Amino acid sequence: MSQENIDHAISREYSAGFVSNIESDTLPPGLDEDVIRFISTQKKEPEWLLEWRLEAYRGWQNMAEPGWAHVHYPPIDLNGVSFYSSPKSMKDGPKSLDEVDPDLLAMYEKLGIPLHEQEMLAGVAVDAVFDSVSVATTFRGKLADAGVIFCPISEAVHSHPELVRKYLGTVVPRKDNYYAALNSAVFSDGSFVYIPKGVRCPMELSTYFRINEAKTGQFERTLIIADEGSHVSYLEGCTAPMRDDNQLHAAVVELVALDGAQIKYSTVQNWYPGDAKGRGGIYNFVTKRGVAHRDSKISWTQVETGSAVTWKYPSCILRGDNSVGEFYSVALTNNFQQADTGTKMIHLGKNTRSTIISKGISAGQSSNAYRGLVRMSPKATGARNYTQCDSLLIGDRCAAHTFPYIESRNPSAVVEHEATTSKVSDDQLYLCQQRGLNAEKAVSMIVNGFCKEVFKELPMEFAVEAGKLLEVSLEGSVG
Amino acid sequence: MTDFMRLPLDSAAAGAPLWLQDYLREARSRWEGSTLPTRKTEEWKYTGLQALRVSYAAASEGVVGLAEAGVELPHFGGYRLVFINGRYCAEHSDGNLPEGVSLVRFADAGPAQAAAIRDHLGAAVGREEGLFTALNDASLEDGVFVEIEARVRVEQPLHVVWISGNQEQAFSINQRLLVLCRQDSTASVIEQFSGARSEQQSFTNGVTELLLEDGATLNHYRIHLEEAAAAHIGRQHARLETGATLNSFHLALGSVLKRIDVVVDHCGQRAHSELNGLYLPRGDEHVDYHTCIEHRVPNCTSTETFRGIIGDEATAVFNGRIHIHRDAQKTNAQLSNRNLLTSTRAEVNTKPELEIYADDVQCSHGATVAQLDEMSLHYLRSRGVSRAQAQTMLSFGFVNEVVDTVRCEPLRDYLRGILTRRFARDPAITGSMV
Repeated sequence: MSQENIDHAISREYSAGFVSNIESDTLPPGLDEDVIRFISTQKKEPEWLLEWRLEAYRGWQNMAEPGWAHVHYPPIDLNGVSFYSSPKSMKDGPKSLDEVDPDLLAMYEKLGIPLHEQEMLAGVAVDAVFDSVSVATTFRGKLADAGVIFCPISEAVHSHPELVRKYLGTVVPRKDNYYAALNSAVFSDGSFVYIPKGVRCPMELSTYFRINEAKTGQFERTLIIADEGSHVSYLEGCTAPMRDDNQLHAAVVELVALDGAQIKYSTVQNWYPGDAKGRGGIYNFVTKRGVAHRDSKISWTQVETGSAVTWKYPSCILRGDNSVGEFYSVALTNNFQQADTGTKMIHLGKNTRSTIISKGISAGQSSNAYRGLVRMSPKATGARNYTQCDSLLIGDRCAAHTFPYIESRNPSAVVEHEATTSKVSDDQLYLCQQRGLNAEKAVSMIVNGFCKEVFKELPMEFAVEAGKLLEVSLEGSVG
Repeated sequence: MTDFMRLPLDSAAAGAPLWLQDYLREARSRWEGSTLPTRKTEEWKYTGLQALRVSYAAASEGVVGLAEAGVELPHFGGYRLVFINGRYCAEHSDGNLPEGVSLVRFADAGPAQAAAIRDHLGAAVGREEGLFTALNDASLEDGVFVEIEARVRVEQPLHVVWISGNQEQAFSINQRLLVLCRQDSTASVIEQFSGARSEQQSFTNGVTELLLEDGATLNHYRIHLEEAAAAHIGRQHARLETGATLNSFHLALGSVLKRIDVVVDHCGQRAHSELNGLYLPRGDEHVDYHTCIEHRVPNCTSTETFRGIIGDEATAVFNGRIHIHRDAQKTNAQLSNRNLLTSTRAEVNTKPELEIYADDVQCSHGATVAQLDEMSLHYLRSRGVSRAQAQTMLSFGFVNEVVDTVRCEPLRDYLRGILTRRFARDPAITGSMV
């Protein structure tokens, strides 16, 4: 492949980078207790939630930004971040899709979100989060019939306060870490899901997040509760418009899988990664964690191609006996992107099992690290873990790292970890090219094969999107 | 914070040769300016330093005979040099130095040798390697300098033994070994640490530097047999120039605190290293191995195998890092770490790390933690072997594969004897809790 092609592919513009002009209510930058009171008042929140936020804020003030991750970025000036923004046209609250701002709908259209006409075809219920306020929710009726609650968390605070109050912060405590505490103090909105006992959610639930307002930090908070014996698959996908300033995103996702329940959480993350010189891009500092009770299962699948800096460890606390945790991840970094991502599997119950499959692909001058923890507690008799981390390097200026922590305190627990690092070999390329594939197709095929184990875990529509994403991000980066 | 070592430091400063005084002074200021790591220090996350909360005295010369202290002193042929409580012991040191080898204590170095030592001391270990290296530098009263002349091939091993015997007070030993293998030379060096079988509190702070010039081959063994209250914080740094080969073997029985850092630095192309190790803590002992394989230049290879059996309430830590620098293309680096937990209260923390900045490399690591395979146990028992015996056999087999890599035959036999006795004497380590 010629240098020209490489340059062309590398300089490819971010295809989802556009800004839609919707007026929004934006709070002036900075954070203090008044800002939190303002957010809480705006959302007409009950007193306990305001107190909860303030407590998190007070804890956060005494915390330091974590420095252990293998990422480097200039210090974030939180005084320059605005902590609340809501689309203006939302003030009166649309009753149906017709009342939704047409600009918004047009934007979703561009993103290919299956809303409106597409919703029936795709069979996906979308709780679209546009900046901080959820603007449209579909399939409510069908879900309500099944008893499933799927709504913005700000709404759930009013409609199902007992559930929110019972579970909020139980998986990721308010003062869990710097960014989780910040999120707890200022979280704007997010999704709330409750699946009643024994119910199999009739459709895959999906939310699209999109950071739109310049300099607006996004602090999503998602809470999913799967009651005994229930089953839910939740999809999350992200794109963001092109920007020059770095934007902070500190989300918290909490999953509760009660006895015998199953939660499958899939993410395709394609936020703006910054330009070819490493300017701009999203800072993605996310805390995702699930608690698995007896006989339950939590499965995380993620395809991470975006963000300038990613700091993300979807984790499972396998509390109940026989519970299962899974983590399937593809993380791709290009140009100057940095990713430090992985998982934690905390085995507390007997016969708990976990599987970790992580595929890291680094290209350009990027840095891609897997960081994971597998902990077998003394009570995790018969527990089992299998971990596989593979890295693929494309180009001689990128970096790939593996930092797996394995802690075992139970002799009957079995932990296996293996990691490999390789590049797309000349032999593989030659073989494909010899059979008439051009280099780009060949690389794309090889990389897709490399990621196959993870892609097959994704729901169909996501698998397609993920495959495309990799192709776009990687074409021509091998010479 | 660093006051507990004041006495040994003062004593070292008084006893060290004149030409080392500047070196000591500089190191002492480094040591005094540092603070002890805590569990929040990533490098010390799993190893606490409570065992060092003792005021150490300087070691005095061996006060009891070896036999009384229960220390055995094997002979592997070749040349043997013995230190008791950090002091040279002429009585037990023997053998004739082979042709082309010079071996000298720092204290006895003539002007030419002193110059060679000053030139090479710290060439592998560097000055930023943390406070225990600073402490070692600052306590440098006596050390051993071994030089193998160019193109010399030494068949018999050079055996250096450090023994921590008995003394009234808790004491500290400063161990330092500097091995310089000149171009195309071949040699074997055995470092052995043994302790008296008693509750004597001691603290050995060891630093070994191995410098391999172009084409040199060194077989190196570092055997830690101290137990009980003998704490050891040790460090081995090897620097490999073009085409050099290092075969390094490590063994550690546990003690109250044992922490060994091993660094192998591939600085010249086509260098090759093989690093193997075993750790066998039991009781409430602790062993921590931190290894780091640095690949700075292209076309080098390294393999690393560490295995551990952790029994009773013991803890083991293994951190194996492979660092491929930018442009170190065509590197092939492999690491394997396997652990057997034989008790419900034993604990192992392992972290094999890869840090890679070059694309055309082949790197892999694997780590496992488990107990003895039930199927294998069943197989043996179905043939009339008792459970305890079967466990001993399988445990022995598990570590024996690593002992097999020891090239020095008398040493290999000696180690097998130690392991056999250890497994037989206390079946707890092989899993009698079942």
